[in-house]
Amino acid sequence: MKSVVPLEGACKSFEEDLVLFYYGESADADRRRVEQHLPSCAACRRFVDDLRRLLPDMAKSEELPQSFWDAYYRDTLAKLAEQDRQKYWWRDLFAPLKVWAVPAFGTMAVVVLAIGLVLGRGDSKRVTEGSSEAIPQAILSDANQLEFFESMDMLEALSKLEEQDELKADPTTNHSSKLTSLAVNA
Amino acid sequence: MVDPQKLRDEELVALCQQGKGEYFEVLVRRYMEKAFHIAANFTRDTETAKDLSQDAFLRAYSNIRQFDGRSSFYTWFYRIVVNLCLDHARRSGRVVWESLDALSESPGEHHQLADTTFQPDQEAIAGEAKRRANKTLEAMPKKQRTAFLLRNHQGLTIADIAKVMKTTEGTVRVYLHRAVAALRQSLVEFV
Repeated sequence: MKSVVPLEGACKSFEEDLVLFYYGESADADRRRVEQHLPSCAACRRFVDDLRRLLPDMAKSEELPQSFWDAYYRDTLAKLAEQDRQKYWWRDLFAPLKVWAVPAFGTMAVVVLAIGLVLGRGDSKRVTEGSSEAIPQAILSDANQLEFFESMDMLEALSKLEEQDELKADPTTNHSSKLTSLAVNA
Repeated sequence: MVDPQKLRDEELVALCQQGKGEYFEVLVRRYMEKAFHIAANFTRDTETAKDLSQDAFLRAYSNIRQFDGRSSFYTWFYRIVVNLCLDHARRSGRVVWESLDALSESPGEHHQLADTTFQPDQEAIAGEAKRRANKTLEAMPKKQRTAFLLRNHQGLTIADIAKVMKTTEGTVRVYLHRAVAALRQSLVEFV
């Protein structure tokens, strides 16, 4: 049985260095200083001896059987896999489609496009027909007037063309007749 | 083909970052005992230590792309383990340690140990010393306790502890000294 005697403290100026000395973490100069001090100081020697006696025991951990570590490893890998599965759940969703996913989606896209084109044409006709019925009368009359003016413009353009043709056919006559008419007007 | 077991931590991490997650299994195998033991040092409970250390692996794996290689993998990983343990201690109020102490310590026990006519065996003394040490550790500021556990129980260097705790080496030395001095003081009867 060990006797129970109150401990003396180590020298205050050395205590921190003694802890680092014990752990082998002293700088060279500090280690030499401690090594020079210890032979002459019983309290500091006792301090270091206490650390050597107490601290390694504290660090001892329970010995666990290999079966524990095997189970630990398996459990950890299972948890990692589960975490991956939750993170990338959408991969599972597409997993069965992997082999034929590309041709399947390609075909589907073509079919959707074809249906869209066919129905889209019918819709446009219906929209046009429906729209003419729905247009108010005032707007329709404006539109008729617009057609009238357009046809007038066309007639005017035709008459200009005819004039140009005449000029090409007999430039002198026409030119002089124009001058005559100008003189008459003046 | 290179044996994955022979790859260095940094090489394994790089492979994981490239999407080869299977290489993380090697890191699990390499660090599972250390991770478990440090969690056990903090929690004093096998099941909790197992859960916390496994949780640390899950977090490390899901954040592996954020590991930038400025520190070593193990200091980065130790930091995850320690943070989880401290967080757990904060949330749980350290009930486990309290209950262990309550089970083993009666008011007259210290007096018996001091009595020279009482002859308990060495095992009982060691057990009592360990309980007292645990109690002292429990009462310590968490930074002192962390520095002490990482140095004394896990064998990390002061430089690595400073990286794990994101502090200076000088501060770690102070934490370590205070922790050791407090432990020695609490174990005065057993030395």
